Amino acid sequence: MILDLQRFQAQERPCWMKLESLLVQLESRPDHRMKPAEVELLQELYAQTAADLNRVTHGALAPELRRYLERLVARTYAELYYAPPTRSELWQPRRWLRIFASFPEAFRRQSRYFALAVVVTMLGCGLGGFAVRYDPASVDVLLPADYLRNPGLRVHEEENEQGRHLDSAQIEAAFSAQLITHNIQVSLLAAALGATFGIGTALLLFENGLVLGAVAVRYAQQGFGLFVTAWLLPHGAFEIPSILIAGQAGFYLARLMLCRREDRNMRESMREWLLLIAGLAMMLVWAGLMEAFFSQRHAPVLPYGFKVAVGAAELALLTIYLLLIGRRDPGAKMLANGPARN
Amino acid sequence: MTDSRPNRLPTTAELAVATPEGVIFRLPLAGPAPRLYAMLLDTTIVLSALNGLGYLVYWIFAKVPGFGAMTITLAEFAIGFAYGALLEGFWNGQTIGKRLFHLRVIDGSGLPLRIEQAWVRNLMRVFDVLPFAYLVGGISVLSSPIMQRFGDRVAGTLVVRETPLSAPTDEAPSNQKYNSFRMYPALAMRLRRAATPELAGLLQDALRRRNELAPYARREVYRELVAYLQTEIAPFPDELVEMLSDEQYLTNAADVLLGDQRPSRIHG
Repeated sequence: MILDLQRFQAQERPCWMKLESLLVQLESRPDHRMKPAEVELLQELYAQTAADLNRVTHGALAPELRRYLERLVARTYAELYYAPPTRSELWQPRRWLRIFASFPEAFRRQSRYFALAVVVTMLGCGLGGFAVRYDPASVDVLLPADYLRNPGLRVHEEENEQGRHLDSAQIEAAFSAQLITHNIQVSLLAAALGATFGIGTALLLFENGLVLGAVAVRYAQQGFGLFVTAWLLPHGAFEIPSILIAGQAGFYLARLMLCRREDRNMRESMREWLLLIAGLAMMLVWAGLMEAFFSQRHAPVLPYGFKVAVGAAELALLTIYLLLIGRRDPGAKMLANGPARN
Repeated sequence: MTDSRPNRLPTTAELAVATPEGVIFRLPLAGPAPRLYAMLLDTTIVLSALNGLGYLVYWIFAKVPGFGAMTITLAEFAIGFAYGALLEGFWNGQTIGKRLFHLRVIDGSGLPLRIEQAWVRNLMRVFDVLPFAYLVGGISVLSSPIMQRFGDRVAGTLVVRETPLSAPTDEAPSNQKYNSFRMYPALAMRLRRAATPELAGLLQDALRRRNELAPYARREVYRELVAYLQTEIAPFPDELVEMLSDEQYLTNAADVLLGDQRPSRIHG
């Protein structure tokens, strides 16, 4: 059927105008929840405009009118099928504080991906340590330039430089900010590389493990095992697990990418991924502060035993946090989750 | 005899959304160029804001510059990610740059973007930006039928164009009294049957924007359109075409396609 466009437009324009003014009202008040009468009116105008769009699409060559009606239909569809969270819902402090409990829950739900990240890192560690143990010359290939200096010399320098640090809280503050941002960026990359079906994530974790293993064995070989433990553990107790959690998020994302599109629960998956990222970011803030203000101080100012004890205590607290916080019984959990839409 | 199937002109990418009620509507997708311009504008805004903030922070922390450096480093990092995520999340899929270039990020189902989607697509920039200048993201956009960078693929979002549209007016598409093409009803009908809506839109745009085109460009565009219509859609007799300028030819064709579409009526 070929449409008499002019007559059609004259007839239907009042309906479109009414719908447009209603949409303008609704869009300008995102916090407004529609009353039943408003929904009914919107639904009625939507049905009429959708029918008009159908007639224009199949009965006339009127691209501009079609685009206009498509836009109206799209906007109405969004109003009818999507209710954004209200401002008051969004700015509830309790909503944001819940992250502290939700993060360990997400960590435990996706623990198999954490295990995979641990395995890949351990493989790298093992290979790095093995290479340095049996072929000391391999450090030239495995380690970045900063770690190539003689360990004895490095320990001597670190122990003698600490006096300067005592008066340099400002330098440490600036240093901590650099560490925090750099570590979060690297962790985010590990998590985002899950989009390469996990290959990039695995390579990044393996490389990290390789360097860690090589450094640990190199220092231990020359009798500085305690020094390197005391040096790395206070911040490493949070930094290394957070890199592993980034790997966990990356592998989780990879699994999601491999799922068939219709099998994905995108909303829940994204929430899970974001919780892992938020959690590791919080951990890395602490790790950065510890690295700048605590790890760089060595004996005799801070005895190595004390530093190792602090690192071990941090690790124990982190383990308790990740394994125990937020645990609820399933019935309570279902209630807490509430309806699916926000 | 020419093939009666309409030849499709290359069209811009669109997303077709089918609603639960069975209504299908299309949303035009944003190409890489406007997205790049919007991103450059947003980057400029963020850098300017950070610059201003930097002066303020260094002034406040003048006596303890180390803490000033710490504050500004952390602020730079947070604002870099949060600018896009918060604005898109709370401003219905738009940043300042996107709003100025009439772009909007939406959910793949045609619904508005959710806050978590805004965060995911913005955090995924660390990957899209690799190895430099958004090469990974650019390749992803160009290779995706719905122009998604990796961040969009993961978040299930896409960027659409939202050029301002006003309600159609009462005026007839063409006000010419006489259209010589209607003397050939069979050919006029063939033109209407074979022309796609995109072609009709193209003709309408070409005529409406005649004064925006340089004379040489206008001649070339009109000449190419006439040649296309004559060879591929509906060949009107040479003796008629020779009497018409290219612009008159296109005006007649647009009148046939977009004018009063009651078939029985002949103008003039």
